[in-house]
Amino acid sequence: MSTPTLYLPRDSRLHHLHPLTKLALIGLAIVAGATLPVTLWVIAVYLLILMPLAAWGKVLPAFLRSSLLLIWPFALSLTLIQGFFAPGEHILLQLGPLSLKLEGIQLAADYTARILVWLSAVILLMLITRPDQLMLALTERGLPRQIGYIILTALQIIPRFQQRAETILDSQRARGLETEGNLVKRLRALVPLVAPLILSSILELDERAIALEARGFTRAGPRTSLTTLKDTAPQSAFRWLSLIVMLLLILARAAGWMTA
Amino acid sequence: MLRFESVHFTYPGGVEALIDLSLSIEQGERIALVGENGAGKSTLAKHMNGLLKPGRGRVLVNGEDTRRKTVAQLAHIVGYVFQNPDEQLFSNTVQDEVAFGPRNLGFSPQEVEEMVRSALEAVGLQAAASEHPYDLLPAQRKLLGIASVYAMDTPVLVLDEPTMGLDLHGTRMVSSLLADCFSAGKTVILISHDLDFCAEHVERYIIMADGAVQLDAGIDSAFDDPGLLERAGLEPPQLARLARALGIQETPGTVVDFLAMWEKHRRRRSS
Repeated sequence: MSTPTLYLPRDSRLHHLHPLTKLALIGLAIVAGATLPVTLWVIAVYLLILMPLAAWGKVLPAFLRSSLLLIWPFALSLTLIQGFFAPGEHILLQLGPLSLKLEGIQLAADYTARILVWLSAVILLMLITRPDQLMLALTERGLPRQIGYIILTALQIIPRFQQRAETILDSQRARGLETEGNLVKRLRALVPLVAPLILSSILELDERAIALEARGFTRAGPRTSLTTLKDTAPQSAFRWLSLIVMLLLILARAAGWMTA
Repeated sequence: MLRFESVHFTYPGGVEALIDLSLSIEQGERIALVGENGAGKSTLAKHMNGLLKPGRGRVLVNGEDTRRKTVAQLAHIVGYVFQNPDEQLFSNTVQDEVAFGPRNLGFSPQEVEEMVRSALEAVGLQAAASEHPYDLLPAQRKLLGIASVYAMDTPVLVLDEPTMGLDLHGTRMVSSLLADCFSAGKTVILISHDLDFCAEHVERYIIMADGAVQLDAGIDSAFDDPGLLERAGLEPPQLARLARALGIQETPGTVVDFLAMWEKHRRRRSS
């Protein structure tokens, strides 16, 4: 059985960093992906920062697999939409009334690069950080436990969904549902697959809430933690520095200091 | 009917779930597939309708290799009731839910209607036919899950933990549904940890451990080897244990069997 999160336990220096330090690294990549004015710089964030980080954390294969698997639908749809519908002069291909334009392709490449950086930054965070430790670090800094819990659940929910979806797929196929074949057949197969997924998840939510209540989640007052997180002064300094860099990037972008 | 020929199966994660497993099941047999969690029971059962295909070896359903059939095609022969009904219920009404399988198998609207009616009757849900499945109690949903596969009228029926979460009434419903299957000559395979329930219905026990069939026998010899039972994580049904404690040589499955054996045993002792 697979673990319910993307987290891969590895013995790397990256893994041993304080969760907030990892969060700062990832935040830096995300802000850079949003603010850098040149597409190539954004791609450089992926190639020269995120990929080496993943390699340092000994999770490079999983990192590449997940990020490339997630990005291609974006790449495809953005290329089609922007390529054909963004305004531009340089026509590459004429298809009846539609024309594929260079400017659109460039725009699509830019968006795709930024989305790639955002998605893969989050994936990297999930690969190298135990969700419970991240939540602990955040609640230690004053994040309400409820919000920490929501983040934790959100991180866990996709693989859990996947497992359940597989069981549902099996049980409907066992009742004669044909899932292979043409598009119409596949679309028709969607309702019996999606409906139980949503309904049973809602049911589970209800039980989860009761279980949380039963274990004192909403109790008032101070509490202790089973695990303690190790933090160091250089890491703290690094986090402040990242925060400053992030603010500078945003400021520079907003003030128009950085231009392509 | 069902034949496993030296079947090996390894999950993508590398877990060897079935190891060189051979097995033959005939039409009309009543079988309990028992063993610990992780012994390979579900993996074995999922080979019967093609949800899993063997890595090595062959599985034949009615003489045909499952690798050449889709699950939807095999669903005409093998019905599989999953453990958790909430992982299949999707329709707006109970009767639509039950009609889903028969419709997929291509029965005519009249036939489907008849199959739905008799399946709902078999589990005592006829009054709830137009309700929403999620308005039912969990135990009723479990029965609905069973009915939705039973309605497909397949010659083979596999039930994964059919009595889990059911009260006496629900368990009786399942029992009478099984009795209907038996009188119709269907092959029934129960995957269950409830050996007392199995004992009342089956005649053949397939005991699994470590991805292999450890013992394939009737009740008279299925529970003879304490070492094996320990390894398979099983305890004989209560009646069988009682009979043993009383010094009765045979092994009863049902109360009726037990009384007959007890009577014979007493008469032998007094004579």
